[in-house]
Amino acid sequence: MSDELLVVRCQLGEREAFAELVRAWHGAVERYVGRMLAGHDDDVVQEVWLAVFKGLPRLRRPDRFAPWLFTIARRAVMNRLRDAYARPEAEQVDDLPGRDEAQDVVDRETLGGALAALPLREREVLLLFYLQDLSLDACAQICGVPVGTVKSRLNRARRLLQEELVKKGYEG
Amino acid sequence: MRPEDVLKRLDAPLSLRRRIGYVTLACAGLAGSGLIGVLWATEPGLPPQTKAAFAVLVAIGLCWAAFGGWAVTRRAPLFARDRVVAGWMGLGAWLTLTIGALVITTLRHKIDPSAIVMLLVLGVLAVVNLRAARRARTALLRRKDELTQRHAPDGDDAER
Repeated sequence: MSDELLVVRCQLGEREAFAELVRAWHGAVERYVGRMLAGHDDDVVQEVWLAVFKGLPRLRRPDRFAPWLFTIARRAVMNRLRDAYARPEAEQVDDLPGRDEAQDVVDRETLGGALAALPLREREVLLLFYLQDLSLDACAQICGVPVGTVKSRLNRARRLLQEELVKKGYEG
Repeated sequence: MRPEDVLKRLDAPLSLRRRIGYVTLACAGLAGSGLIGVLWATEPGLPPQTKAAFAVLVAIGLCWAAFGGWAVTRRAPLFARDRVVAGWMGLGAWLTLTIGALVITTLRHKIDPSAIVMLLVLGVLAVVNLRAARRARTALLRRKDELTQRHAPDGDDAER
């Protein structure tokens, strides 16, 4: 069943659709929160779901559920990380051409393990773009920045990740 | 935390009973304030203490109405089905208020034009609200049917 259909059923007030929606997306929310906070936090996950159900009746585009969900999750995470996120962004690097080595060789498991060492902004775009398979547009919408900034952060994140993996002795 | 744990924790804040309770509170507050207002307006020569008491009662009713309105938009928002139920409840509250106001004003032979205007405005609001809720629900049901048909396996093929 598509997410849009599930969301529409939720907006109609079908109780069982809520349960299906939670079952379908709980893992993704939990992973995102866990990786952003570098550890599980049930309170934040709960906060996300409560905000989702409070906001569902006002969601105008049910077909854009995933970006909307992660916008809420991001807000909840940022509330926890307000201090860390308030630090000035590191100097951005120029776009790197095409797919780099790290992108080709790093599988999801390794990526997940190395993410904790990355700065928040870079970790966030990697999580959304690679682990949640969201588009650049969706990532930009969730992070509240232009697409160009997302690309720039992705490039920097890949470079940092590559350095981190090399540091950990990962040869690819 | 498992999905079932999440759902269990969402049960209390999002229960249907709680949402209907908020709507009832809003309707009762509004209707109560209206009836007290009509009594106040049609009763001549009230002592200042009684006027003050009426004013306080009207204010309390309006506060409950405002709280109920806030709760169903922010604390436990209404889904499409709930909005239709709430719309009917609003219409019911308006009918109660209108009948009560008509009884009071008729018994006292004092039909205040401003009270009639207020009742008409509230009635129009109740009808518009119910209509909007029904239209929103119909649109969602239509979309649900479209999406269900799009994702449903072809029945004929499946039988073959």
